[in-house]
Amino acid sequence: MDFNLSEEQLMLRDGVERYIRDDYGFEQRRHQATTGEGFNREHWQTFAELGWLALTLPEDVGGLDCSFVEASVVLESFGRGMVLEPFISSVMLCSRIVDRSGSEYHRQALLPALIEGRLLLALADSECDTRFTLGCIEETLARRTGDGYQLNGLKTMVFDAPSADKLLVTARLDDHPHPAIFVVDRTAPGVEVIEYALVDGTRAADVRFSKVNLPATALLIEPSQSQPILEEASDRAALAVVAQSLGVMHGVMDMTAEYIKTRSQFGQPIGKFQALQHRMAEMFVEAQHARSILYRGMAYLDKPAEERARAISAAKAATGKAGRFVCAQGVQLHGGIGMTEEYPVGHYFRFMTLLEKRFGDTDFHLARFAKGY
Amino acid sequence: MNFQFSPEDENFRQEVRQFFQDSVSPEVAHFGYVGAHPPPRDVLRQWQKTLHARGWGAPHWPQEFGGTDWSPIRKHIFLEEMLNANGLDYGWQGTHMMAPVVIAFGNEWQQQTFLPPLLSGEVFWCQGFSEPNAGSDLASLKTRAELDENGTHYVVNGQKIWTSDATIADWGFFLVRTDSTVKPQRGISFLLIDMKSPGITVRPIISIDGGHGLTEVFLENVRVPKEQLVGEPGMGWTYAKYLLEKERTSSAFIYFNKRELEKAKVIARAELIDGVPLLETPVFARKVAEIEADILALEWSVLRILTKEELRDNLDAVVSTLKVRGSELQQRVTELQVDAMGPRALRFFSHDARQKDACDEWDDLWPAHTLGRTNMYFFQRASTIYGGAREVQKNIIAKLAFGL
Repeated sequence: MDFNLSEEQLMLRDGVERYIRDDYGFEQRRHQATTGEGFNREHWQTFAELGWLALTLPEDVGGLDCSFVEASVVLESFGRGMVLEPFISSVMLCSRIVDRSGSEYHRQALLPALIEGRLLLALADSECDTRFTLGCIEETLARRTGDGYQLNGLKTMVFDAPSADKLLVTARLDDHPHPAIFVVDRTAPGVEVIEYALVDGTRAADVRFSKVNLPATALLIEPSQSQPILEEASDRAALAVVAQSLGVMHGVMDMTAEYIKTRSQFGQPIGKFQALQHRMAEMFVEAQHARSILYRGMAYLDKPAEERARAISAAKAATGKAGRFVCAQGVQLHGGIGMTEEYPVGHYFRFMTLLEKRFGDTDFHLARFAKGY
Repeated sequence: MNFQFSPEDENFRQEVRQFFQDSVSPEVAHFGYVGAHPPPRDVLRQWQKTLHARGWGAPHWPQEFGGTDWSPIRKHIFLEEMLNANGLDYGWQGTHMMAPVVIAFGNEWQQQTFLPPLLSGEVFWCQGFSEPNAGSDLASLKTRAELDENGTHYVVNGQKIWTSDATIADWGFFLVRTDSTVKPQRGISFLLIDMKSPGITVRPIISIDGGHGLTEVFLENVRVPKEQLVGEPGMGWTYAKYLLEKERTSSAFIYFNKRELEKAKVIARAELIDGVPLLETPVFARKVAEIEADILALEWSVLRILTKEELRDNLDAVVSTLKVRGSELQQRVTELQVDAMGPRALRFFSHDARQKDACDEWDDLWPAHTLGRTNMYFFQRASTIYGGAREVQKNIIAKLAFGL
């Protein structure tokens, strides 16, 4: 075993950390979150130029064919920077679905453009009453027409939909229990995107499909193939969220340690109080073990589905709990200032609220893990 | 021992319940449910007028000032029923903090000037205690009030922070330093200040829930007639402690905790997992039950204090347990709501989006009972910070209960 990053991975880490520190300041992020699309296209273009959008994709579509380790290095820094750009949706989730779809047509049509930063994707799957279930087709139906399909239905909480060029839409087809997955232009006639902001400042939408006519080529994955592909991609994305959470925890701890060294009450820096020192120590314990379970999750990414799912669930559940604790204590140790919108630590708390639920909350993953007993 | 509410108290509960059923308007209920800080001023005014018209504008005041002769248990029942009906307990700083001090230590002019308009809902108050460098260590506050050369006015300079609702308040009660030559607690006075006075600037602080309730108040050469100093100069610290002792049980937030638990259950009944209500799944039911058991214990702790049990433990230490447990429950119960909501909890509603008009148009995807819950969860991070941070409360317990 060797848990050390290679020389190249270390260079990547230094590069991302420098970018987040120097070019992704909190004030700018705060402004960006409430403006326009809720993120900055120039950052996205830079990510593309630096190769970060290409990391995990294969070479034949322009990718760098790296392991998940490289992605986790980038994601950890993105967590620390609370990066708003739709990296998880486009790069970690949707590009994986497309890459594994078996559709050479869509791979070549979508992935090079995505890598170059010209195309954004979002997965439109969840429906009104589905919580964290994958492959939701109770309310979305595709019907075969003469030369293609017609799509009707309603998806909710579609992350990053408002800015996406194309949506990967799950829908019932031919009464199959599992979904067909279609590639649908976000601006196609009959697609209505009802946008809203999320707790971290990013955007999502309810998306209504009313008699949306699709060509035969719009079918990305047949119902018989879709479920394992969705689950694998979602598992990887869940682990990506674990890596982000780790960055959040370190961001919170650094900021909080700095604060309690300088904030004085009762005639001394409050960091001198043992109660607060122990709290910081407890946060450190959580973060260390979160890193360990992230690594363990990575070790299981290519194992058979059931083993993979349990390892990811263990990582997501443990980190959801750890991240919440660390962020809550970060706010607590800051006192009133931690409650303000002007100060970063409360944004970490809000971001962690989202991360805990993204791709399944702690309860969902504990239940999934326990199914293996 | 007698573990029952008396039949008279039960009748009283029915009477109060009926009153709130009849008198909580849709506007009041909206803000009572959603909890957007602060509600519009006219909603607050109307609500206080409604209470006042029934003679219940400030039940905990002595009767001669417009209060009631209710026992502590009846006051408890009143507040419980009010919050259950989504009534607003918003004028709290005025009715529960300023008024008891003015009643106990103020002179007749102060009582006649300041209490009636508060009771009738004409005037709202804010509290100016904390400062940027005086939070948990409140005694180190630096805002100065010095008599001018004529000896008729105090001239106040300094800065307050975390002042709730100063943007809608007409008056504020402030802790100010009138003597810097004595030990910190001895040099503090309790001063009533017209918020429209020249030299006062109020800056709203947007909090992480998107609310506008918190503010900073800057005081620059604010001239305050010396008649507006309550009681004796230098006794402000004692008065502040007195008002906290009058409100021993309020820090438990028992009514809030009970009501929010019921909301969590409503959400968890509506949310389905594989067709089964979330509340009926063993995992979630257990989470709800754990919190409910702690809330029930807290409720009876409140009742023990209210009925003046002769404790063998230190009273102040026991009161601090109400704050420690109550504030943690405020966080746990709102987290329970967020967890019940699942992905729906991630949508962020701005302050404007939580106003009544914006919420009247709603659809099946976004059940109305989920509105504002995530904001409330964020805001409750403050519950273990304000009013004596959890860490300070634990220090008090260690010292008073065990002599450590």
